[in-house]
Amino acid sequence: MIIDSHTHVDEVEAWGWFDPPEVLLPLLDEAGIDQAIIMTYRDATGPDDPATAYILDAIARYPDRLIGYVRLNAEAPNALDALDRALGQDGLKGLKLHTVSYVGFPYGESTLRLMRRSAKYNAPVLFHSGDEPLALPQELAEAACLCPETTVIFGHMGGFYHCEAAIQAAQDLPNILLDTSAMPYPEMIRRAVETIGAERVLFGSDGPGCVPALEIQKVHLAGLSPEDEALVLGGNIKRILDGVRHDI
Amino acid sequence: MGCAMIFDFRVFLGRSFDGIQHSVTDLLKTMDALNVNMALACPLKPLSYNLESANADLVASIKHHSDRLLGAARVDPWQPNAADTLRRGLEMRGLRALYLNPWEESFRADMPLLDPLLEIAESQNVPVLIASGYPWLSEALQVRDLAQRWPQVPVVMTNGGQFNISGLGQADATLALGQTANLYIDTAGVYRQDFIEETVEAFGAERVLFGSGSPYFDQRYEIKRILQANVNEAAREAMQLGNARSLLGLTD
Repeated sequence: MIIDSHTHVDEVEAWGWFDPPEVLLPLLDEAGIDQAIIMTYRDATGPDDPATAYILDAIARYPDRLIGYVRLNAEAPNALDALDRALGQDGLKGLKLHTVSYVGFPYGESTLRLMRRSAKYNAPVLFHSGDEPLALPQELAEAACLCPETTVIFGHMGGFYHCEAAIQAAQDLPNILLDTSAMPYPEMIRRAVETIGAERVLFGSDGPGCVPALEIQKVHLAGLSPEDEALVLGGNIKRILDGVRHDI
Repeated sequence: MGCAMIFDFRVFLGRSFDGIQHSVTDLLKTMDALNVNMALACPLKPLSYNLESANADLVASIKHHSDRLLGAARVDPWQPNAADTLRRGLEMRGLRALYLNPWEESFRADMPLLDPLLEIAESQNVPVLIASGYPWLSEALQVRDLAQRWPQVPVVMTNGGQFNISGLGQADATLALGQTANLYIDTAGVYRQDFIEETVEAFGAERVLFGSGSPYFDQRYEIKRILQANVNEAAREAMQLGNARSLLGLTD
């Protein structure tokens, strides 16, 4: 089973990004992907935010294909309530944080409190990571170090110029995993697997902007063993999702 | 899928100060495996930082493969003899383009410092490749400003003019392309297929060139961005071959 651990559905007029589930699903079919974790482009600010409602609607319509993460603005006063609603009552499976988007320090208390609460649910926290301040692997590692009980995923594995820093952070801290989405280097996937083990590397496409079929070929070009590739393409994220609880 | 001929508009050869090295033998082996017919090679910056000798080494390394490999002159605009280095590269060494790297040579892409080099590029009718997307130095709008001062010179922004994994660099690159008819992009590391496809739709396929940036980027993967792009075959042919031939003045 192939599970894409990083995709988006949302419609944001201000950015000109219109990606309902019906845009993503054919791309998943084309790539032979069974299920995908979806998140919005927008950061929700409270329990009744339309962004989270958009995710809930999408997974209600495609329950066999789509798995939802809530994406939050950690600086919003009601962010913690929103997280509890999403992971508890709504049954979502994880938290997406884009610190550049909400202009928050990864190691700031607002972000840390959401990470700690996510850990209560055994729910993973997927961060956007990249080459820009607020999303540097070194900054995210500070947060991961302060929340050792939280499963932290570095989306994009550090981007263009910080892949090695992301791998180093994951080597230093066992609660960090890396996702393969968007970053352009098959070699870095191989290096990550060799350094931290295949169990901590997750296939993600960042679709539909990035084409899932192409992103899977990037994993193939990494030249992993069949066993390791199976873990990366689905086994690992399934293990994590199976451990998520919705009552605390 | 796609036509047979493929031209990689940007690869690197030599030995870089950062430890990266790429030989003609290795390049041709990969090109053969991928059915890439030709490539434009830029010199890696050697540990000596001497780009004059890097250009000479490049010419020596590709001279027996002139049917497959063309070269670009790499110039450090801070050097007092920069214009001479470029002229020598184009007129005596047979190089076919100018390659500028603001990141490794430490200059801003919009600086008047570059104008004498662009003037030579204009007079010699050669394209200029600029390593683009680097913060402070070669963001898309900085490269745009240079290109607008030299409207007769084709200026190619590498990496789609952006290095932002959030996708937030796309808007500036699109703005720059829309405002500047002599501005082009290569596709190395452009992880958003929709950016490539929307650029083709908005400005025409003639503004997009397949460039792998090998060995920093994986030529095996980078070619897929073109071969699997959702564009018509004429657009694909332009990106993977026709535009490179046109900018370099190649004829059958």
